[in-house]
Amino acid sequence: MSLLQLIGITAVKILIIFTMMMLTVSYLVYFERKISAWAQNRLGPNRVGWYGLLQPFADVFKLALKEDIVPTNANKPIHTLAPVIALFVAFTTYAVIPFGPDISLFGITIPLVVADVNIGILYVLALSSLGVYAITLAGWSSGSKYSLLGGIRSSAQMISYEVSMGFSVAGVLLFAGSLRPAAIVLSQHGWMWNALLQPIGFITFVVSAFAETNRLPFDLPEAEPELVGGFHTEYSSMKFAGFFLAEYANMIIASALIVTLYLGGWQVPYIESIGLPAGLVIAIQIISFFAKIAFLLFFFIWVRWSIPRFRYDQLMSLGWKVMFPLSLINIVWVAGLIMIFRL
Amino acid sequence: MNVDYLVNSLYLIKPELAIASALVLLVLIDLIMGNNKKFLPYVAIAGLIAAAYFIIGQFGMNSLAFVSKSNKGMIIADPFGAFFKGIVVFASLFVVYFSIKSDEIKASFERHGEYYTLIFGMILGMFFMISASDLILIYISLELVSFSSYVLAGFTKTALRNSEAALKYVIYGGVSSGIMLFGISILYGITGSTNLYEINSLIQSSSIPNLTFILSGILIFVGIGYKISAAPFHFWTPDVYEGAPITITAFLSVASKAAGFALLIRFIKITFIKSVDSAGYWQLVDLIDWKTFFIFLSIITMTLGNFAALWQDNLKRMLAYSSIAHAGYLLLGMAVLSNQGMIAIIIYFAVYAITNLGAFFVVMLIANKIGSENIDDYKGLGYSQPFLGVSLAIFLISLTGLPPTAGFIGKLYLFIALVDAKMITLAVIALLNSVVALYYYIRVLKNLFLSRPANGTFEFKVSFSNGLVLVLLAAPIIILGIYFTPLVDLAKNSMQILGF
Amino acid sequence: MSLELFLFLVFAAVAAVSGILMITRSEVVMAALFLILNLASLAGLYLLLNAQFIAVVQVIVYAGAIMVLFLFVIMLLRPEHEKIVTKISGIRTFAFIIAALVFVQLAYVILKSHPGSALNSDVTASVNAGTVESIGTELYTNYILPFEAAGFLLLAATIGAVVLAKRKFE
Repeated sequence: MSLLQLIGITAVKILIIFTMMMLTVSYLVYFERKISAWAQNRLGPNRVGWYGLLQPFADVFKLALKEDIVPTNANKPIHTLAPVIALFVAFTTYAVIPFGPDISLFGITIPLVVADVNIGILYVLALSSLGVYAITLAGWSSGSKYSLLGGIRSSAQMISYEVSMGFSVAGVLLFAGSLRPAAIVLSQHGWMWNALLQPIGFITFVVSAFAETNRLPFDLPEAEPELVGGFHTEYSSMKFAGFFLAEYANMIIASALIVTLYLGGWQVPYIESIGLPAGLVIAIQIISFFAKIAFLLFFFIWVRWSIPRFRYDQLMSLGWKVMFPLSLINIVWVAGLIMIFRL
Repeated sequence: MNVDYLVNSLYLIKPELAIASALVLLVLIDLIMGNNKKFLPYVAIAGLIAAAYFIIGQFGMNSLAFVSKSNKGMIIADPFGAFFKGIVVFASLFVVYFSIKSDEIKASFERHGEYYTLIFGMILGMFFMISASDLILIYISLELVSFSSYVLAGFTKTALRNSEAALKYVIYGGVSSGIMLFGISILYGITGSTNLYEINSLIQSSSIPNLTFILSGILIFVGIGYKISAAPFHFWTPDVYEGAPITITAFLSVASKAAGFALLIRFIKITFIKSVDSAGYWQLVDLIDWKTFFIFLSIITMTLGNFAALWQDNLKRMLAYSSIAHAGYLLLGMAVLSNQGMIAIIIYFAVYAITNLGAFFVVMLIANKIGSENIDDYKGLGYSQPFLGVSLAIFLISLTGLPPTAGFIGKLYLFIALVDAKMITLAVIALLNSVVALYYYIRVLKNLFLSRPANGTFEFKVSFSNGLVLVLLAAPIIILGIYFTPLVDLAKNSMQILGF
Repeated sequence: MSLELFLFLVFAAVAAVSGILMITRSEVVMAALFLILNLASLAGLYLLLNAQFIAVVQVIVYAGAIMVLFLFVIMLLRPEHEKIVTKISGIRTFAFIIAALVFVQLAYVILKSHPGSALNSDVTASVNAGTVESIGTELYTNYILPFEAAGFLLLAATIGAVVLAKRKFE
């Protein structure tokens, strides 16, 4: 495959993923509102379009028309930079997550991932660790105490939970023997899903993912009863939209990561052995990947509208005294499994 | 890569393993026993005795551990290392005992688990420093010692000077270890190896950019010089010695310095040596003029240490400057660059270790009772507490280097080595320095014996066990001052460094 | 100009400029941000040297963890309220001398050591050495002892941090 072809194919893949992300994000907001309405026995958005389906576009339109307010005390360049970082991190992370098996089109084998890097998982961790800056800087640059408190809370929270997240991932890496997301997916063939083999790691990862995305029950950085809007108190218009988009994009990435690392990625157990035509198998696999993500997204929203918020010290002690030791236990457990069954 | 190679290497690092296991055990026992901390020192002592047992076994060894295709060996088991590890364990045993008795340490009772664990972290780091033959391990071990000692220096957290000591220590330590790391990276950049033996064979065989090599060598020396508190890198010493708890000061002044000197000798001797001639003089690769370097360094170090000590009123601070001066004397032994110089260093160190521990023990016992380390508060101690007074006098006379104490033997061998190497001027400078030192040590003695005590200042009893330990420290100084053959034999046995 | 050279120039320029900007900013947060940029561009240079693992670890550890802590401390201390010490006598001259010394030394090393000479004959092997697999193998075989020693270093550091930070033990 020539360089030009490679660039072309990659560009197409980027375009597809970007569009899909944008669409999913906007409709995720819609579903968040719809599901919350169902959870609270309300109707939810139902005026714009059929069942309110055009609501996301109305929202974007409204945000774009608002005045962009920058507080007097704010540090202007950083105030602008923060949402950019948030969006950048949210959208580039997806590059290494495979959403299907290799397909051949016109004689060219195309892996269904933007960049098949051999350090893919580390790349995800690196970017997610950079994501802290967006919130921290947003909190600091606004020049408001609510923002600052929110920013500081979130950086402390994200750093704490990154530890147990990293250790849970280590368990997965032990099984796969590789840092390539594609290899990790393939290592979970059949029912060998990591969620079933290492349930402790699965739980710690999911909890850490909630904390990393600042979702309820861990949304202390933006706890509105105490901190107004937390780190984005002083943001309005499209900059606010940037954070909003990034938050939902991060949810999608977290779900995609959980699927890739623990739920077998795009694989459907034993589908190859049924004897369906190859094209259909691939289609089912890609659809299954998105179906798994969709379920997890629903799960994210479901949890948000079911569980109350943690207190800050509870959050920290959960992170360091429960999740961290559990993720270590998980590594020992995985190492034991490998010792017993593969040696 | 097979497992046998690892297991065989483990046999060669038994003392390190003993210390490491004791460290882990201390953490676990502290965790399990909760508020019951009284077993911790006994676990520590047991670990040290185990380590000592394995160290004695190492006197007969002469091999490299963790050798592989790409590395000529990480760590060395040889008599030289065994001697210095012995010094460290010896000092540690006493320091653990001091800690049981020290009021300062007793006051922070709830942190005893961490205290002993960190002491063991230091010991482990020192063991690696003493016997490492790879720059990576050397750097990590230095950091292990430094990190633990930073925390220990500020351990009690009660007094302001305590925190000040820790903070100054961290800042100086951070800078010097950063500089050292930079030197190591340059050395790795120009030789492509971190192993001292490989670097040695490389610089003997091929041409190396000269200027760069000198700079990298000196940058690496900064890190070591900081550990032994040699002259331009000594600024932390007085403040840290004065501010840290006495037990830790004693430990730093003996064990930390021993490890630093062992590292210095090993680094110079393995990396730069070309050959050792029949008279025992080292022929170094003429990339860096270490001889001149050490001569200057030792003159600056001892002069500065001795003259600064003249003005000190705090005994701990005075001992800090005196320990800088002693580092200067020891560097004299390095400047000779011969086997004889090395024997002198080893003898000097053995004596210095016992003496310094003893001196700090007396300071601690008195500070426990009168809560002061000021020299003026010692007035008349010799009358009310003749036992403590006489012991302190013995230690101070030995530090000065007067007969009939062991300190004299240490100085004697140093001067003989200097004279044999025809470095008479240097010997004279060192002698003059000793005269200066005499003044400030005698000043303490004057306070002890020539002044009358104020009423009721020293009305306390020295307990039996404390007295016994004091005798254990003071007696060898007198005995070795008269009958020093075993010490010299030990030094001759211990000077063998693997490889050359 | 090859792609590699072009990327090298870009990363090197970013690193140099951000380094200069970092030490000339009077606002501490801006300085910290430029330091982050500098560290990130160094990660790019590592990538060009085939050291992918080091590159990512550079981002995770330095940019992602250490610098967040820096920012954290800066924000909590609010240095904008502190008095700014503009002149410490001689410190600039001293810094300049040190920097010049280091620069000359490094330039000397780079100009004197020719690729392909006996000293760096292992350049080709180093290309393969940057992968996670080879680093892991080295760490767990040849460098197992420094690796374990580093483990104890971290243990001591953790215990030390707890001792210093915790005010009261129950």
